[in-house]
Amino acid sequence: MAQLDSLRKQTADEPALAPAAGDVGPADGLGGLAWLSRREILRVWKVWTQAVLAPVVSSMLFILVFGVSLGGRIREVAGFPYEVFVVPGLIVMAMVQAAYNNNASTIYQARSDRYVNDVLSAPMKPWQMNLGFNVGGIVRAIAIGAFLLLLALPLTGVGVAQPLVLVPAVLFGVVLFGALGTVVGIYAEQWDHTTFISNIVILPLAFVGGVFYSIDLLGSPWHELSHFNPVFYLVNAVRYGFLGTSDVSVALSLGVTAALAIPTYLWAQYLFTSGRRLKA
Amino acid sequence: MLQSAPALEIRELTKRYDDGTLALEDTDLTVPDGAFFGLLGPNGAGKTTLINAVCNLIRVTSGEVLVFGEPADTLAARRSVGLAEQDINLDRFLTVEETLVYHGGYFGMAGDEARARAADMIETFDLRAKADVRTPKLSGGMRRRLLLARALMHRPRLVILDEPTAGVDFELRQELWTYIRRLHEEGTTILLTTHYLEEAETLCEEIALIRDGELIARDTAEGLRERYGGNTLADVYVKAMGMPVP
Repeated sequence: MAQLDSLRKQTADEPALAPAAGDVGPADGLGGLAWLSRREILRVWKVWTQAVLAPVVSSMLFILVFGVSLGGRIREVAGFPYEVFVVPGLIVMAMVQAAYNNNASTIYQARSDRYVNDVLSAPMKPWQMNLGFNVGGIVRAIAIGAFLLLLALPLTGVGVAQPLVLVPAVLFGVVLFGALGTVVGIYAEQWDHTTFISNIVILPLAFVGGVFYSIDLLGSPWHELSHFNPVFYLVNAVRYGFLGTSDVSVALSLGVTAALAIPTYLWAQYLFTSGRRLKA
Repeated sequence: MLQSAPALEIRELTKRYDDGTLALEDTDLTVPDGAFFGLLGPNGAGKTTLINAVCNLIRVTSGEVLVFGEPADTLAARRSVGLAEQDINLDRFLTVEETLVYHGGYFGMAGDEARARAADMIETFDLRAKADVRTPKLSGGMRRRLLLARALMHRPRLVILDEPTAGVDFELRQELWTYIRRLHEEGTTILLTTHYLEEAETLCEEIALIRDGELIARDTAEGLRERYGGNTLADVYVKAMGMPVP
């Protein structure tokens, strides 16, 4: 039997058994983290038309319709042509939705089909599992942001005025919404729960978070209420990175976004460390 | 010192689920290194809970689980265990080959090593024709083969098979048992749960009976027959589980 010969060959030519338990070193699990991260990126790659192309196309339509088409009828906003002003907010909106949706769906599917057990039983530390599962959403969001910038550049002439602000703003934003997706994907008992947060919470917050306007144009109480919207701070931090202008202090914008991103990521970490909702 | 440790040592293991269900209570079990050990009991007896405790898949209420002398939740212990679960739980985004390679990666294998091992496992389990096919498109038998190949991929010293032949036709079942028997002959410890009692009787060196979260007996198949006065393991099972005699 060829199959049995093959089995015999494996065990004769190679170490038949796993290394002895004491062989584990301090760096152990890093290989697993690399493979889990790779798996999450592969998942995005395998569904790239849905995961990357579709949000890029829909955001470009926003830029074309709201910016280039209607922009001629709207005066400058904060000293910038409207088609330039809306680009940072639209990029933020596409990125945070992608980060959230990706991570919520990947962990929910892994739980639902129970292949998450292949990771939970692997010799990886909880922080490695958390980081690995979060990587896909972060990479997907950054890919979408990069494509949108490349496409918007020749259409609108938008540039990057403050890269040292833009980079941390984007990172805090995708970590915040990626980790939120991971948390919701772990708690969700059915698929609707993940889409509920996306459609009823994130999308409306993005729309009223100053993506399409400066809150200086709003009267009271909407002007004041906008300050309770976390997406408002993210939009302004990213807008400052692109245009060098913001409705609020850039330090406050970065600070609020970071202050939300860190505990949200730690919440996801707690779930992996404790096994709550992941293990019965 | 490590080599002499039992493959599995469970001490006073209790698991109460969040809904209050007591699945295991103060369970003790030792499986020697190199054993072919059977765990038999009806649905809901606690077999899968016990297995999940060994594989870090449940939050244990109390007690201790050691794998080759190491606590089950350590990385060292997890590297030593391979699990083929009762239900098919394959990653829907991966092909057959990717399923094996990525599993190897999760368990610490380098890329080249994982790819070489995956190629061997694909050959061994007759999956070559489907190597590039994504798992949802596989037949039930192919999925079962892949599940077993995945469990063996990282060369575990303890292989746990939870109802590995459930829903599998006779021919494939024979084939799977041939693989597993050979693996055992080469030194791997096997912990098996099955509802096919004749399989357990033929394959297992020792058998434990579990009912309502408690281990009620443990012996060789012959010892159990003597103890319960049965001609077959099925007779033993009926008596031990308190089932009405047909």
